[in-house]
Amino acid sequence: MAQSRQHKVTAAAFGYLSPTLVLLAVLMALPIGMVVWYSLQNNVITNANPEFIGFEHYLDIFGDSQFHAAIKNTSVFVLASVVAHLFLGLGFAMLLNTQLLPHWVKTLFRTIFVLPWLLTVAIVAVLWRLILNPSGVFNYLLVSTGVIDSPQEWLADPKLALFAVVLINIWCGYPFFMISMLAGLQGISAELYEAASVDGAGLIRKFFSITLPQLRPIIISMLLLDIIWTSHQFTLIWMTTGGGPLDRTELLSTYTYKLAFSQYMFSAASASAVVVLVISAVLAFAYVRHQRARD
Amino acid sequence: MTTTTVTPVPPTAPVTGVRTGRRPPRKMTSVSRRRVAITLTLVGLILGALFAGAPVIWMLFSSFKSNPEIFAYPPQLLTENSSLAPYLAILNDPRQLRFFVNSYVVSLAVAVLTLLVAVHAAYAFSRYDFPGKSIVNIAVISVQAVPPITLLIPYFGLVVALGLYNTYPGLILTYMVFTLPYAIIMMTGYFNTLPKELDEAARVDGTSSFGALWRILIPIAVPGMVSVGMYTFMIAWNEYLFALTLTRTDDMRTVPIGIQLLMGQHSYDWNQMMAMSVLGSLPVILLFIFFQRYFIGGMTSGSVKS
Amino acid sequence: MATLGVAALAAGCGASGGGASEGGDVTIEFMQWWEPELPDGEFAALIEQFEEENPGIDVELLSGPYASIKDQVIAGSASGTMPDVLGLDGAWVHDFATQGSIADLSAAMSDAGYDDSQLAAQVQVDGSTRMIPVVNFAYPMFVNNELLAEAGVEVPTTRSEFMAAAQAVTDSGSGAAGFIAALGLEKPNGINIDIMPWTWASGGTMLSDEGGPAVNNEDVTSTVDFIKQMWDAGVIAPGGLTMAEQDKVEEFTNERVAMMVSSLAHINLIRENSPDLDFSVVPLPVEDGYTGESGVRYASWGIGMSANSEHPEESWKLIEFLMSEGANGQLSALANGFPGNANVTPDFTESDPLFEDAFTIWEAGYPVSEFTGLPLADELMRVFDEELQQVLAEDKPVDEALGNIQTEWEGIF
Repeated sequence: MAQSRQHKVTAAAFGYLSPTLVLLAVLMALPIGMVVWYSLQNNVITNANPEFIGFEHYLDIFGDSQFHAAIKNTSVFVLASVVAHLFLGLGFAMLLNTQLLPHWVKTLFRTIFVLPWLLTVAIVAVLWRLILNPSGVFNYLLVSTGVIDSPQEWLADPKLALFAVVLINIWCGYPFFMISMLAGLQGISAELYEAASVDGAGLIRKFFSITLPQLRPIIISMLLLDIIWTSHQFTLIWMTTGGGPLDRTELLSTYTYKLAFSQYMFSAASASAVVVLVISAVLAFAYVRHQRARD
Repeated sequence: MTTTTVTPVPPTAPVTGVRTGRRPPRKMTSVSRRRVAITLTLVGLILGALFAGAPVIWMLFSSFKSNPEIFAYPPQLLTENSSLAPYLAILNDPRQLRFFVNSYVVSLAVAVLTLLVAVHAAYAFSRYDFPGKSIVNIAVISVQAVPPITLLIPYFGLVVALGLYNTYPGLILTYMVFTLPYAIIMMTGYFNTLPKELDEAARVDGTSSFGALWRILIPIAVPGMVSVGMYTFMIAWNEYLFALTLTRTDDMRTVPIGIQLLMGQHSYDWNQMMAMSVLGSLPVILLFIFFQRYFIGGMTSGSVKS
Repeated sequence: MATLGVAALAAGCGASGGGASEGGDVTIEFMQWWEPELPDGEFAALIEQFEEENPGIDVELLSGPYASIKDQVIAGSASGTMPDVLGLDGAWVHDFATQGSIADLSAAMSDAGYDDSQLAAQVQVDGSTRMIPVVNFAYPMFVNNELLAEAGVEVPTTRSEFMAAAQAVTDSGSGAAGFIAALGLEKPNGINIDIMPWTWASGGTMLSDEGGPAVNNEDVTSTVDFIKQMWDAGVIAPGGLTMAEQDKVEEFTNERVAMMVSSLAHINLIRENSPDLDFSVVPLPVEDGYTGESGVRYASWGIGMSANSEHPEESWKLIEFLMSEGANGQLSALANGFPGNANVTPDFTESDPLFEDAFTIWEAGYPVSEFTGLPLADELMRVFDEELQQVLAEDKPVDEALGNIQTEWEGIF
């Protein structure tokens, strides 16, 4: 009895999952399998008869100093971007969730806050290249207000470039965090806050004892996703700095792209991609375990 | 501890404070406190709006300038040669207009189809316990872990083999693959915040599981679905790498590719690129303003009552 | 049944060919980045002319953004969806040829009984032609006459004069820099445009007699020394390490830089954007004491054919048409380049007088395009660019940098 019930439940669950699974299997698992397979051969695409060579490409990559630089830059880039996304996203969402301001004011600000999100990455890159140009408006404002003495080469100065691309990525990435937080905030029952007010809790205590715990599942999901996506950011970097100057903004994505499309080493590029895949899969695994522990 | 206080209190009713006795009732202070709170909130909002909006304003004004004025120093917001010419150049070009149509068709289809598929998957993850659940969950999440740039070559071959090259379905299905994991994770998260008693009660009353999903959970989860829908729309709207690779003729290309077509070998049409971006964003802003209502209604009071 | 099939086929072709075809039975695809570069509708009109002259052949124009067309060809080649005819850059030829993606045009020419003496140039890999340059763009020096006059200097003809002029402009207080180099890594062709032409202008080379790499020779060393000297003197415009060719020309147009090496294609653009700018095109300065002929760097819009085309004969016809005197002259005039057909004399009567100056420079020197046809040419430039950035920004010794480049290049060749 119990067993047949369980079978039914399983069948129903997979019924609900089937469209997702079919789509992902055909259009995602298959290409991923091909990438893994590529990474174990000596050179694909450009070579008519590739040979199986095992993990040689992985060893090559792990020994490449540019790969090390890429790992380091990617970590900095991802960490800084994601932390900033979280703070800005949560902060703006809470400001927008206020009961203190009239409806239209909130609508206005909410609309302004999502603007960066509406631009395609090619335009984001071009726009910021104009703004951060040595004779661009950002330098002009900073110099004329006396914040800096002379115009800076934000994107071309090896010391500033990574900072500059992180800034751009923060700018175009936080709205998505904010929207999710806003939806989450609005899902928190007002009664919880009222009860806390009755208990005499102040704003800060309410934030730590109600807001944060209630948002926790969404925050954790968003962090995971944002880490994965930010680590894949390619077009923005490519169109602003091309990974330069001096490899200072070389990320795993630009490194991989160069291997594939500049050196035609598709197998090595695949190996580099698989490394990223494994890191991301570990994150995904930790996330799922965390979720199960919570249940 | 004080279960008696749960009696519904209208949000505007002043909390007297006498009840807990921790705070003396000082009316003046509470008014001025409110004022300080409003001021601080506004200051925060304005600072944030400057950060978010200033570059966009710059783009907007640049879209009217002539190309050399975009590079002029000192930079000016309004210039003498500002005109509508860049906009007219785009609006008078049927080829460019087609890019907009394509972008809307693809993005809307992606948003709707993704939501449709994702709510069912999320329902399974949130409400069912079945063997292999965590493996399937990990698989769904980690498929998006591959950097798209390396997937390009095998993916391209696959799409060609399936006959989806240079078609709407090719782009739509591709974007769904990228948006589905996110949509499923988020919808699972939202469903998890809804008490299981809700749909279990419906099930006891004889509703099928499918009915419980559609009649109980989905109506409550609308704010979450709107934000997920917005997100998937934006992913499809802004995506560039696959749009470029999976299409080859102008009647299938989307706005981001249209913008890149303005980046020539020797020079860029800077103002037209900006204008195209503005034109592309306007309808999306309207869409956003319209859908905002759904965030606001929220799940605030309704969920616990039933 | 048969009639039905023919009707359906005709309808299909009509739909894809854009309507103008009269029962055309072969459609060839032509992928290029040229159409968006040319005045609206002009390229399509030229192709229409071809279709009229060749009933039975329809051409479908696939136009892509320049920056991504190479990647698209690679992806297409990997999955068997290459267009029949494609626009090529000299930097890609070797790679596509060794990957077996582009056809041997020598064979196509002899099959068609084509007289190739009218071709100004052919790009060969391992002895067979893979690309034919359709339009050539010379890269002379552009100078802003007003900025030079304000600084009180003449147009420089030697490197030391150039250095002095650049210094004078930078010091003149106009806020302009003397020189500009776009060394961004997204597309590392700044090496080919802003750096190596200095070597070639003084009769130098970066290759050995056998065609191997010799990038650490005296010619290149003195060039990099010269660039480094300018960089340290602060006469090179800021932002160069992530700049692209398209940014460079805007800096020049806005009078923030007095001198640049640039494509002739930019003359009309500068005129259009800044009608009052007083500028000239002049030969690139040479090493002090050099009196020989100068190499003039050029780039081409090349054309090639897919190795797997189902319609090689029709594809060749299209190439032959684009290389014919009439069409080639027309196309080069539209593109503001020099024709790939040697028999065409460019007609400058209606174009900017600067083109005639440029043509004089072109005729006085000899054409150079050393990166064309080299293996992994983009990667060669990238390696060079990365080392050069270290020389400029981190004072890496020039010898060491060029030594590294040489080693890496030897690995690639």
